[in-house]
Amino acid sequence: MDALDVLWRLLAVLLAFLVLPLLVGQAEHKAMAHMQGRVGPMYAGGFHGWAQLVADGVKFAQKEDIVPSGADRRVFQLAPAVALLPYLVVLIVIPVGDGDMVGQVVDAGVFFVLAVMGVGVLGSLMGGWASANKFSLLGGLRTAAQLMAYELPMLLAAASVAMAAGTLSLPGILDAWQWWWLPWQIVGGLVFFTAGLAELQRPPFDAPVADSEIIFGAYTEYTGLRFALFLLAEYAGIVVLSALTAVLFLGGWHGPFADTLGWVWTLLKTAVLAFVVIWLRVSYPRLREDQIQRVAWTVLVPLALFQIALTGVVKVVIQ
Amino acid sequence: MTLTEAGHGAVAEAAAHPGFLSPTGVEIVFVLVGLATLGAAVVTVTTKKLVHAALWLVAALGGVAVEYLLLTAEFIAWVQVLIYVGSVVVLLLFGLMLTKAPIGPSPDADSGNRPVALAAALVSAATLVTLVVDAFRTTWIDLGTTGRGSTRVTGEALFRGWVLPFEALSVLLLAALVGAIVLSRKGKAARPGDGHGGGGTRTSGHGRTGRDGEAQG
Amino acid sequence: MAVPGAGLAKGLAVTLRTMTRRSVTAHYPDVQPELPPRSRGVIGLFEENCTVCMLCARECPDWCIYIDSHKETMPAAAPGGRERSRNVLDRFAIDFALCMYCGICIEVCPFDALFWSPEFEYAETDIRDLTHERDTLREWMWTVPEPPALDAAAEEPKEMAAARKSAEKLAAKEAGEGQRPSGGPPSASPPRSSGATPPSSGSTPPSPSAERPGRAEGEGDA
Repeated sequence: MDALDVLWRLLAVLLAFLVLPLLVGQAEHKAMAHMQGRVGPMYAGGFHGWAQLVADGVKFAQKEDIVPSGADRRVFQLAPAVALLPYLVVLIVIPVGDGDMVGQVVDAGVFFVLAVMGVGVLGSLMGGWASANKFSLLGGLRTAAQLMAYELPMLLAAASVAMAAGTLSLPGILDAWQWWWLPWQIVGGLVFFTAGLAELQRPPFDAPVADSEIIFGAYTEYTGLRFALFLLAEYAGIVVLSALTAVLFLGGWHGPFADTLGWVWTLLKTAVLAFVVIWLRVSYPRLREDQIQRVAWTVLVPLALFQIALTGVVKVVIQ
Repeated sequence: MTLTEAGHGAVAEAAAHPGFLSPTGVEIVFVLVGLATLGAAVVTVTTKKLVHAALWLVAALGGVAVEYLLLTAEFIAWVQVLIYVGSVVVLLLFGLMLTKAPIGPSPDADSGNRPVALAAALVSAATLVTLVVDAFRTTWIDLGTTGRGSTRVTGEALFRGWVLPFEALSVLLLAALVGAIVLSRKGKAARPGDGHGGGGTRTSGHGRTGRDGEAQG
Repeated sequence: MAVPGAGLAKGLAVTLRTMTRRSVTAHYPDVQPELPPRSRGVIGLFEENCTVCMLCARECPDWCIYIDSHKETMPAAAPGGRERSRNVLDRFAIDFALCMYCGICIEVCPFDALFWSPEFEYAETDIRDLTHERDTLREWMWTVPEPPALDAAAEEPKEMAAARKSAEKLAAKEAGEGQRPSGGPPSASPPRSSGATPPSSGSTPPSPSAERPGRAEGEGDA
C-alpha cells in the first residue's frame, strides 16, 4: 500500500463523509415532509429543492460564531470537533465491497468502530457542560445516561455477530457471512439498530435534545458553523449506524452479482436503513427519560443476551 | 499477558538487541506519546477545574491507547478506548454534572492531603516501574512480525493460558453487580418499610379517632 | 391489539401510507389559490350604489373608512315641483393597514355598494399605499366573483320574489289587455322568463359589462 493509494482511499472516505450525510439530510427533509402530507423544500437549486442543505450550510457559515461569556471557552469551541471527527474515522474501516473496497482493514474492527463512536458522545457532554446553561447541562446529563444505558446492548449485539463469524474484523465478518445468518441474527440486528438510534439521540430516543422540554439540550448555546458541525455529526452518525448495521447484520455487499455490484448492495442496504431511521423519527413520539432507561435495561439487554446464547448454541451445534 | 508470552518467545531475540542508540521512528513516536500522556496525566491531577481534569484524563487514557497501538496490541488499544474513554470518563462526567461542577476553578476541590497522595503515587509508580523493568529487562519485541497483539492471539492467551484469572475476575465483577443490585433494591425496600413503620404508628395513634369516627357514623 | 408491537406497526403504516399520497401543500406563488366567493381578501366599492349614508364609516370598528361628500341640488323633476338635493361622493377610501377584515361595513351597507373580493395580493412597501382610494376600490369591484348558487330547496331571495311578483303582475295585465283586442294566444313572452332575469338580484354584484375594465387591469393597479 503506497502513499498514493492511501491518499486515494482517504480522499474517497472524506468524500463519502461530506456527501452521504447531506444526502441523508436531504432525504429526511423530503421523506419527512411527504410523510406529513407536505412537500418540503422546493426552491433551493431549482429541482425539488435539492440544494437546500447547501443553502443551509452557506447560511450557517455566514452566522456569527458566538461563545457565551460565562462559558468555558476552550471546551465549548472544541466540542463540535470531538462530536464530528469520530464518525469520519469510523468510515475508514467500513467495507463497501468485496476484497479491497475498504479504507483500511482493522483487525479488531467491531471494537474499533464501537469505541470511536462512543468517543463522539463526549462532544455532546463537553458542549453540554461548557455552555454554562441549565438546559445544556440537562441535555448533557441525559446524553450521558442514555449512552451508558445503550452502549451495553449495542456491544453485546455486535459481539454476537463477531462470535458467529469468529473474527472481529469487518471484512472478515462479511467473508464468513451466509444468507441464513439473517434470521439467525435478526434479534441482535434489531437490538443493535435500536441501541444505535438511542446513541445517536435520534427520535424516538431524542430526550437529550428534546426541543419542547430543554430547548435543544447540549446544543442550546451553539450557533453558526459549530452548530452545523453538531448537526452534521448527527447525520454522519446515521450514515455510520446504517452502514454498520448493513455490514454486520444484513450481509453488506452480499447479494446477486456481488462480485461486480457488491458496493451497490452495501450502499442500497445503507440507504434503506437510513430511510428507516427517518421513518421512525416521523412515526413515533419521544420516549420519556425513564422509558428510555427501561427499554434499555429490561428489553434490549435481555434480548441481546438471548441472542448471544442463541449464537453460541447454533455455533456449537453446526461445528 | 501478551507481553510475557512475547517475552518468553523473544528471549532468543534478545541476543540480537538493536540497542537504544539508533532509535527507529516507532520508538521515537512511542517516547513522544509517552511524554504527552505523562503531561496530560500530571495536568489531570493538578488542574483546579474539575471537568478539565476529566477531559485531560481522556487525553491521558487516549495516549495510553496509542501506546498499545504502537506495540501492535490493537485489541487492547480499542478496548481501552471503549471502556475507559467511552464509559468510565462518561460516568465521571455524568457524576461531575450531577454535582454541578462549576465552569471556573473549584478551590474546595483540594482536599489538603496532597503530600500523602503524592507519596502514594510515587510509591506505586516506583513499584510498577521496578516490576515491569525487572520482568522484561532486555526483552525485545519485533514489531515487524505482525500478530503478536492481534485479537486472535490475545483471545487465545486469555481463554487458554489465563482462563482462571479471567473467570476469577468475572466472578468479582458479578459480585460487584449483584452487590449494586442488592444495594439499590434494599434502598427501595427500606423506604416502604419505613413508611409502613411510620404508617403503623400513625394508624395506632389515629386508631382511636378513627374508631370514634366510625362510632359516630 | 393482543399482538405486541401492533401499535408500532400501525404507526409506521400510517406514515408510509401518507408518504405515497399526494401532499396537501398549496403551491401558492406558483399556483394561485382557488378562493371561494366572499373570501375576505379585499373590499370593492360599487360607487353607483353608494348614497353616502356613512353607515359603513360609522360602524367600522377601527375607523378605517374615509368618506367625503357634498350636497348638490337637482332641479325639480316636474315643473313647479320641489328641488331635490343629492349627496355626491368626493372621496371614499379604506385604509387596509387599519382594516381588520370584520366585514361589518359590507353587512351594514343598505344599498349593496361594498363587496368582498378574494384578491389578497396587495402588499406594499409603504404603509401609506395601503389606503386604497375610490378608483382602486372600483378596480377591486371587477374582481368580485359571482356568489355561490343557492341550495336547491332554499327560499327565494326577497329581491327575486319582489321582481317576479311585479313581472307577473305586469304580464297578467298585458295578457288581459291583449285578450280584449285580439283574442289571440296569451303573451309571447311568458311571465316566468321575464321574472327569471331581473336586472339585479339581491347581493349579486352587477355582472361586468363591456365598458368595465377587466380583472387584469385591477391587478395591475394593485
